[in-house]
Amino acid sequence: MARYQLAEHPHCEVEVLTAGLACCTLEVEAAVTAGLLIPAQLGNQASTPPSVLVISGTVTDALLPSVLDVIDRYPDAQLMSFGACATSGGPYWDSPPVTKGIDQFSDVAVYVAGCPPRPEAFVAALLSLAQAGISS
Amino acid sequence: MMNVSVTETVSPEKWRERVLQAHDHGFVFFDFLTAIDRDSGVEVVVRLAFNDLSESISLSTSINHASLRLDSIADIFPGAGWHEREVGEMFGMNFVGNDMQQLLRHEALGLPPMRKNVVLSARVVAEWPGAAEPEIKQDGRKVGNPSRRRQRPPGVPENWLQS
Amino acid sequence: MIHSFIALLPDKCTSCMLCVRECPAWCIHLDSHTEEVTEPGARRPKKINVLDSFDIDYSLCMYCGICVDVCPFDALEWDQHRALISDSRVDLTLGITQLTSEKDSAN
Repeated sequence: MARYQLAEHPHCEVEVLTAGLACCTLEVEAAVTAGLLIPAQLGNQASTPPSVLVISGTVTDALLPSVLDVIDRYPDAQLMSFGACATSGGPYWDSPPVTKGIDQFSDVAVYVAGCPPRPEAFVAALLSLAQAGISS
Repeated sequence: MMNVSVTETVSPEKWRERVLQAHDHGFVFFDFLTAIDRDSGVEVVVRLAFNDLSESISLSTSINHASLRLDSIADIFPGAGWHEREVGEMFGMNFVGNDMQQLLRHEALGLPPMRKNVVLSARVVAEWPGAAEPEIKQDGRKVGNPSRRRQRPPGVPENWLQS
Repeated sequence: MIHSFIALLPDKCTSCMLCVRECPAWCIHLDSHTEEVTEPGARRPKKINVLDSFDIDYSLCMYCGICVDVCPFDALEWDQHRALISDSRVDLTLGITQLTSEKDSAN
């Protein structure tokens, strides 16, 4: 779990928990390396529950219970389906052990297309969630 | 750099003996062991090389689908043990003399997934978009189809679609 | 060039279905019909395919670019594109207008 500030929107800070299941997760780190996200100062990190839960990578039927367990633990977090695998199974759409979309089991707030999506897409998705949160 | 590369097919009975022979000849570097599912049976392939990689040999043998048993070579090349278990799991092969416990695969999955007779149900259930053809229309209504040739999705054998 | 979007040039598309049939993810859907056109001086009318709809389901697309490669008429091309995000999975399926207009706005 980490708190990030969006580099281009400094007023916007999000608490992100990434369920990194496959290669898509690297793009989240790439967003930090590229300076698109700035990790907020250490301190009160553990006390704040995540506002965004990112499911990035291939969800398999075997792993699904653990993923749902994490989702259930943070009922207030908005779910981001990051990349083709989490959204629809992606390249593994025909593989029997792969779950064809996490949205079959839990409501997804934002879908990010890509295989993998670019770091900019991750930031744009965070921003759209943050802005939706402000307006509602 | 790999200079000399030899490919050789052996009978399943001679498999272990030939691998041992190759080992004693100097092919002491175990590269990999894998399998391919063919109509005639499961073909097991092992690639061995000299320690300086100057020469390599690929040995293959075909085991018919009814038996799927082959002597293990894990006692000659301990590293082959893992590869044999993978082939066992993915192709349903039984390597006699090796511990054939499942490695990764979920028991509930049923048939070994790398076998060609395993139907990928998603490809049967989903409608293939490539089956569509340009339609002949008059006044916005379909009046005919220019091609009567039935298209089959690539990678989907004919017998999958019959069920 | 960042390979982040596959754009369609509908004028070049002949509805030959090659991209649809080669797509490993089955994420392209194309609908078309044939029309007869009589060209001046031609002895017989010519049959041409007219593109009715072209959809790429970006929730499934793996950006492999096989469709771009197989298209004999260069009707599909790699494009730079802003992030493709949506609050609905259905909206990630883009039709002809989105596949082309997005390209124009990026230029």
